Amino acid sequence: MHGTESAAIRLDNVTKRFAAYTAIQGIDLEVRAGAFVSVVGPSGCGKSTLLNLAAGLIAPSEGAVFVFGQSLYGLNRRAGFMFQQDALLAWKTVLGNIAAGLRFRGVHAREAEARAREWIARVGLRGFSDAFPSQLSGGMRKRVAMAQSWIVDPDILLMDEPFSALDVHTRLRMESELLELWTASPKTVLFVTHDLEEALALADEVVVLSAGPASRVVNRYGIDLPRPRHLIDIRTEPRFADLYRHIWAQLKEEVLRSYERAS
Amino acid sequence: MNERASRRLPIAVWQALLGAALLGSWQALVNAGKLDKFFFSRPSDVAARIVEWLKTGFIWPHLAVTLEEAALAFTIGAASGVVCGFGLARAPRLGALVDPYIRLLNALPRVVLAPIFLLWFGLGIWSKIALGVTVVFFIVFFNTHQGVRDVDPVVVNNARMLGASEWQLVRHVLIPSALTWVFSSLHISIGFAMIAVVVGEYLGSARGVGYLISQAEGVFDTTGVFAGMAVLSAVVLLVGWGVNRLERWLLRWKA
Ligand SMILES: Nc1ncnc2c1ncn2[C@@H]1O[C@H](COP(=O)(O)OP(=O)(O)OP(=O)(O)O)[C@@H](O)[C@H]1O
Ligand SMILES: [Mg+2]
Repeated sequence: MHGTESAAIRLDNVTKRFAAYTAIQGIDLEVRAGAFVSVVGPSGCGKSTLLNLAAGLIAPSEGAVFVFGQSLYGLNRRAGFMFQQDALLAWKTVLGNIAAGLRFRGVHAREAEARAREWIARVGLRGFSDAFPSQLSGGMRKRVAMAQSWIVDPDILLMDEPFSALDVHTRLRMESELLELWTASPKTVLFVTHDLEEALALADEVVVLSAGPASRVVNRYGIDLPRPRHLIDIRTEPRFADLYRHIWAQLKEEVLRSYERAS
Repeated sequence: MNERASRRLPIAVWQALLGAALLGSWQALVNAGKLDKFFFSRPSDVAARIVEWLKTGFIWPHLAVTLEEAALAFTIGAASGVVCGFGLARAPRLGALVDPYIRLLNALPRVVLAPIFLLWFGLGIWSKIALGVTVVFFIVFFNTHQGVRDVDPVVVNNARMLGASEWQLVRHVLIPSALTWVFSSLHISIGFAMIAVVVGEYLGSARGVGYLISQAEGVFDTTGVFAGMAVLSAVVLLVGWGVNRLERWLLRWKA
């Protein structure tokens, strides 16, 4: 019960079971307000489950979730969510999708549209405001999703492998754009990925989860790479390589263990 | 688009030729006495009859009645189908309770309902509309039901995280998702609405295209029967074409 003041999200001994299957067990995790924290772990270990718990989309089987010191019941109203899968409203245009959050919150149509247009420009989609998601590339859809979750200016952003479906180059651009947004308007970010390089390049702290079932936090690593970071070159910096080797040694064991359990 | 149009043109020509060949051989066979004119009429006679109907304006009131019945049947059937499909999908326990009865009703051949509706609603337009409604309702009902249950839970969660209230969720996510299914069955349900009201007219009425056909049949006027059928087909095709355009516009967000 310490440091709750500065914690945007705190998981207190959280266990989540799906019927007889225990996905995560006894997880303690504290995310400092304004921090960018990455969660890595083998596939199926419970990363999405962790984010869904923080979002209030599912409730813990045991333990409790706190948001800015208050225990969470129902949806986390201070958080935005970028989903692993495509989650845009297919029947709304780019403009309609980006303005949706404001409209839901009762912002007047005119103003919502004006602010959505600003975001369209910010994520580089000028000229596509009247396009439907089906007419966009995967990278463009992710840009829409990013603008959609940022426009309502949530204090916390939960991101579930948002870029994992993109090619390497598009991904690098999106990561840079994300860091720019985050620098311009600092929010607490909980960023799930299976890619350790991505986690390292973006985060202040990397949390490694163990292989499922009954996944737990194996270790947490502070990432002391200076900011602003230039993602194009960061992977070749010696300090990055050191950190990578160090954390990978741990993550590798979990990945191997998850292979064993699968076979 | 241009390329497609230029590739389309020849097939349209072929289609016209096929039609001309069929009608031509029909005409020739009757003229040669191989087919009895009394039973088979003749394309030229049918065409002349249609022209006469159009010239004297005899056909319009009948056509107007049929279209009015079909439009009302469609509107009432679709609206009640959307509401019930939606309601039962949102209230799964109630849905499970009434599910076998809905299937039971849907299994009924509609034609057998026509005499009952005649008794209940009389010879006027409402007995035909009722028949049309029983067809349209079930098509729209099942599609709406499926559409609501088919909605991607991730999209629902996204809308909720963006701050959507229960009603906004219905309005911005569930209804559009369900309407996709309803629209994609629009031309089927409109076509069936037309057929159902014509059957209703045929079985008992004083106006409408179905009435025309049954009257002609009553006096062994095969030309009149064929002319009625031709008018009906042309109208159904025309309406179907319009609905197709509408559907393409409404679902323009689909890939
Ligand atoms: N709704 C659910 N019902 C039953 N089991 C579930 C449910 N959601 C998740 N699980 C199980 O919990 C475990 C963790 O799932 P989760 O989606 O959190 O993994 P993940 O780490 O996000 O995996 P990935 O990297 O592949 O996205 C999996 O074994 C999964 O089968
Ligand atoms: Mg996942």
